[in-house]
Amino acid sequence: MGARPFAMPFREMNDRSESLAQLTLRSRLSEMAQLPPWIEGLTSRHGIPSNVQFGIELCLEEVVSNVIRHGYAGAEDRSVVVRFVMPRDSYFAFVVEDEAPQFNPLDAPDLKAIDPEDDARIGGQGIRLLREFANTVEYERTPTGNRLRIGFSSAGKSETSPESRNNR
Amino acid sequence: MAIATEELTGGVTKVILEGRLDIEGAAAIDLPMNVIAGSKKAVLVDMQNVSFLGSMGLRALVAPARAIKGRGGKIVLFAPNELVEKVLKTSGTDSLIPVHHDLQSALNALQPS
Repeated sequence: MGARPFAMPFREMNDRSESLAQLTLRSRLSEMAQLPPWIEGLTSRHGIPSNVQFGIELCLEEVVSNVIRHGYAGAEDRSVVVRFVMPRDSYFAFVVEDEAPQFNPLDAPDLKAIDPEDDARIGGQGIRLLREFANTVEYERTPTGNRLRIGFSSAGKSETSPESRNNR
Repeated sequence: MAIATEELTGGVTKVILEGRLDIEGAAAIDLPMNVIAGSKKAVLVDMQNVSFLGSMGLRALVAPARAIKGRGGKIVLFAPNELVEKVLKTSGTDSLIPVHHDLQSALNALQPS
């Protein structure tokens, strides 16, 4: 994988921080209704500001829906696991694990912003939104699927995390 | 997600959205937005009470906007909150659907060229 802004080293991925919470969803879009109240409970419990909560909801909606719609391609008997970890004060991450075919969203080509003259393409802005709203995004292939770790600072995007400092 | 419409003077249709434009919200407005897109030529989407906008919500705005523009009409977004506007700008949606925070400027933008 080439040097991409969000292609983080595996250092952080390999510190298996203890999960403080876990949500397991079946591979149906209707299951995603569980995400907002789960996130709201976590942000309330850990004093995470509402603007960061917005980014968390945006990123997890995008990532989990992509796993369900594209990774599992309509199969409804699979699962997506979302874990909440807090490796240090004021910095936390959501780890999304699936058993779908290998797909590294960080390897996907950067899409241009929506073009008003381009009738053919709508959407596909997911990775662009992740890069804007999350502090870090790391991908790791697992023996059975994919693991994506989306990191946030409680201070929001203005605070550069140590691991992103060398990659931006 | 709630959706309501109001006919304003000058042939402008105001679409009032309220709630979260997440996957469920997008599904809730898909049909009414498509009906509006197929019949109206000047549409102001009031975003003041939209608290969340995800990528599926973006699709629910972009597809009708393309349809309205394809029929020679105009559409604008009015008064999204700061974070919703950040999603609109990051995705480039604001280049397709102009964002206004002043009602009069929004209405002016909808007047025939």
